[in-house]
Amino acid sequence: MKSPPNNQNLIGRIRRDWREWLTFVLLAGPNLGLFVIFTYAPMLNNVLLSFQEYDLIRSTGTWVGLTNFQTVFNSSQTGRILLNTLVFTVASVGGVLLLGLFGGLLLNQPLRGRNAARSILFSPFIISGAAIAIVWIYIFDPRFGLLYTILKWLGLTSPNWLGDPNWALLAVIIVYIWRNLGYATVIYIAGLQAIPADLYEAARVDGAGLWARMRHVTLPGLAPVVFFLIVTSILSSFQAFDLINVMTRGGPANATNTLIYHLYEMAFINLSVGRAAVIALALFGLMFIVTLLQLRYLERRVTYA
Amino acid sequence: MDSAPTTTHANTQLAARVSAATASVRSARAEHLVHRALGYAAMAGIVVIIGLPVLWLLTGAVKTNREIFSPVVQWLPANPTLDNFGRAWQAAPFDRYYINSIITTLAGGLAEVIMAITTAYALVYVRFPKRDWVFALLLVALMVPEEVVIVPNYLTVANWGLVNTYAGIVLPGASIAFGTFLLRQYFRTIPVDLTDAARVDGAGHVRAMLSIVVPIAAPAVATTAMLSFVAKWNEYLWPLIVTTTQEFRTLPIGLRWLLDQEGNTEWGVVMAATLFVVAPVIVVFLYAQRFLVSGIAAGAVKG
Amino acid sequence: MKTSKTISRRNLLKGIALGAGAATLAACAPASQRPAPAEAPQSEAATQPAAAPAAPSGPTEIVYWGFSGGLGNTEDELVKMYNDKNTGVTIKREVQGNYEETAQKLTAQLAAKSDLPQIVLLSDVWWFKFYRSGSLLPLNELVAAQKMDTADFVDSLWIEGVRKGVQHWIPFARSTPLFYYNADMLEAAGLEARGPKTWNEFMEWAPKLVQKEGDTLKVAAFAHPGAASYIAWLFQCVAWQFGGSYSDAEFNIKLLEPDTVRAGQFYQDTVNKMGWAIASQDVQKDFVTGLAATAMLSTGSLAGVLRDATFRVGTAFLPEEKQFGCCTGGAGLAILAGASPDKAAAAMQYIDWATGNEGGAFWSQNTGYMPVRKSTAASESYAKFFEERPQAKTAVEQLPKTKPQDAARVFIPGGDQIIGKGLERIIISKEDVTTVWTDVTAELNREAEPVKRDIAAMGG
Repeated sequence: MKSPPNNQNLIGRIRRDWREWLTFVLLAGPNLGLFVIFTYAPMLNNVLLSFQEYDLIRSTGTWVGLTNFQTVFNSSQTGRILLNTLVFTVASVGGVLLLGLFGGLLLNQPLRGRNAARSILFSPFIISGAAIAIVWIYIFDPRFGLLYTILKWLGLTSPNWLGDPNWALLAVIIVYIWRNLGYATVIYIAGLQAIPADLYEAARVDGAGLWARMRHVTLPGLAPVVFFLIVTSILSSFQAFDLINVMTRGGPANATNTLIYHLYEMAFINLSVGRAAVIALALFGLMFIVTLLQLRYLERRVTYA
Repeated sequence: MDSAPTTTHANTQLAARVSAATASVRSARAEHLVHRALGYAAMAGIVVIIGLPVLWLLTGAVKTNREIFSPVVQWLPANPTLDNFGRAWQAAPFDRYYINSIITTLAGGLAEVIMAITTAYALVYVRFPKRDWVFALLLVALMVPEEVVIVPNYLTVANWGLVNTYAGIVLPGASIAFGTFLLRQYFRTIPVDLTDAARVDGAGHVRAMLSIVVPIAAPAVATTAMLSFVAKWNEYLWPLIVTTTQEFRTLPIGLRWLLDQEGNTEWGVVMAATLFVVAPVIVVFLYAQRFLVSGIAAGAVKG
Repeated sequence: MKTSKTISRRNLLKGIALGAGAATLAACAPASQRPAPAEAPQSEAATQPAAAPAAPSGPTEIVYWGFSGGLGNTEDELVKMYNDKNTGVTIKREVQGNYEETAQKLTAQLAAKSDLPQIVLLSDVWWFKFYRSGSLLPLNELVAAQKMDTADFVDSLWIEGVRKGVQHWIPFARSTPLFYYNADMLEAAGLEARGPKTWNEFMEWAPKLVQKEGDTLKVAAFAHPGAASYIAWLFQCVAWQFGGSYSDAEFNIKLLEPDTVRAGQFYQDTVNKMGWAIASQDVQKDFVTGLAATAMLSTGSLAGVLRDATFRVGTAFLPEEKQFGCCTGGAGLAILAGASPDKAAAAMQYIDWATGNEGGAFWSQNTGYMPVRKSTAASESYAKFFEERPQAKTAVEQLPKTKPQDAARVFIPGGDQIIGKGLERIIISKEDVTTVWTDVTAELNREAEPVKRDIAAMGG
């Protein structure tokens, strides 16, 4: 036996819940709906393809069990490619995030000409990869390039950046950081703008110095944006294809071959749909795990710090 | 007389305090000046490191291949030529490409911005069971490589009869995870009492979103918009796949057309065309800067 | 509307008959033999002179997917020349990107069965993929109906597109490797301004051509490209010169035969032991900027090299070792199987013109690709062209000595890159040649499996 008012409360709450849920669906539904059609469905299809030998043109496939997985994971290249992918991701994300933070803090200061500086910093991000590659192939030239000249001043000899398997990955990482720095800077600036100015004022009154303000106001205030940047930078550097494709094509001798480039090779040059699907799954799995770990261990710390 | 020493003492104390204060003001000002000098130096450093390759690239537009290939870097061309611009312009129907790029970028970018705002708002302010899972699902979308979706999406779009249409170019890329994520993070930093107050006043979600959240989040919305529009403007592979004729092609495709299969590319022409593509973005970027100023702090002291 | 429909139905019937004819032909003709036009009109339908071009009443529009870049601009002019002739066939040229992008796009559109062109430009390593999937139209009957003189085509170029005696891919933008040298630099080193007759001779020249700063090779005698720039294409010729090869036509990999190993060792030594060659990011750039005294480059690069170089450029036959060896390359034209018979005939009419003495001469002279017909190379316009550009003459003279490529590179999916990456290991990582070729052989064998299966299923 429940009392009528209680019952009414419940009905009221359910009704309110329903309205909230409906609002949620209306607001988020279109976005998710498009993802279902154009992203999730192809990915599910990709899972099926990984167990098949598939002919795209005739749209026919034969089930081959785990053969594709065996071929990919037994290949002598795969270890090298995984290692490249990890090195590339860690180094480029680290570089972009740290240098970008510096750029963001700097260009958030009321300095004259900072808008122009922001634009210059951002410009590599919007220039076509092919054009960037030609410039950097030039800069890296071990006989006449800009870096050769600078290193010579410093009394050092230039490595054969793009031609030496020990240096090529570093060279690509340098260009990647150079290109994406502006992106991180812009995001940091948006994040810095979200920190209420009175927090700084209060800290100053409390006698906090530059470093203390940085530690107790800026960094915690930036935390949500930093979390966003870490997650998205990792995801996009895992999928950085353009620069590798135009600068090194994965070479020399697989030194810059990463999972995403390997996926491209498999899908569009070797024409092996099934094996490409396996590589896509591996790449996806790697990103999924890394992101999951970040959500689990980083987000809480970062958001509620 | 009696009070004199005290007064003197008090005076000395005051004087000491005043001089200490002026000293600290002076030292703060000195510190400030040093900081500014360092700031300008660092800014100059960044501008040179990032800008030099860009400058070299862009000056390529007025150079011949011989000058570009010269082993000794020629920062300024000996005989600047404007030929490259004319030749680039004729190499592809760029006028048509501009129109197409503007239409698809506006449509796609606008769709993204709107959906990013509504989805992020829903994720932060609207109650829904397992809301975080929805968020995680969005992140999953960021993990699907483009190579996986190209062919299936072509089949879908072809099925719908949208090959060679603006809708075909825009639709598959209209959903947005990056921007949603960025705005979600940003919305979460907005003090909850601001929105709660509005909701208590009887404002619906849509009004709270439009009149409180979006204005406060203006810098983040502007950033999202900028990144969305830049991404759309530069998009290459999908617009190429989903169009077969010149009438619906976009600028990045025209740019790519200048690269020669046999390695005979004329880089000066490519750089000139690069300028066609990049110039509007730089202009928009410079303009968008004004929105990158804090919404929260709009009335308060600048940080 | 109605007339065109009847016509197309009539042509459809004819097409079926034609198809049957092709099948019969395929069954009779020995694999390697090129069908002469006289062989063709065995079937009833094909003997009807109405065959092909004259049939359609209004102008037939043919969609053609061609080149991008500067080559695309030249091709635009070529197509315009043709359309201005008002033959009743208009070509609508469209660009779908580079070879890879075009192939990718064609795959998607074949799967969707929508918006397909009639003619498509496919490179040496791509056409076979579409042949295997049955997407390319057998062309013998159309060639016959068009009265194309197949014997006039350069043999090595023509037979490359023949499978089971049936033509599927017609040579159009074909190139070969060519030896380029910096004449000024050779003379400055006290050498004659000509190409080396043999690699042995070049080994004597090379030390005189290099310039060093410390251990760094500032100017190299020769430059190798990377896998991305088709080193496997160029090295194929060297393998042949040494008496080796990549494979035979039945996909038996020959990399581990002594001569191919020897050739690989030679390539490694040029960079390593002898140290006069470099592995370059961009061979053409290094050559035109004087950082490499000589190089093997495509004939298709000639126009660009002459435009950008600031010195006298010479061209020569490739050097010999045991023997001469030079392969073909580049791209050809194919007609898609979905094309209606009248469209297919119209498409062939254009292909005939574009590879012939009028279109073909214009195209090859303006691009650096080879004239694909013997009569074009012997024409008066070519005699005049050679006077203007003697370097091109070498390329054309070398052409009859070329051979079609090894199956391992062009017919195995990714074969070019698999071999190219192996060569990078040999040249750049300085790995043992036999070890590398063993790995590459295993990989090629694995990748060849589905191809062999498809070919078996297609009956040879």
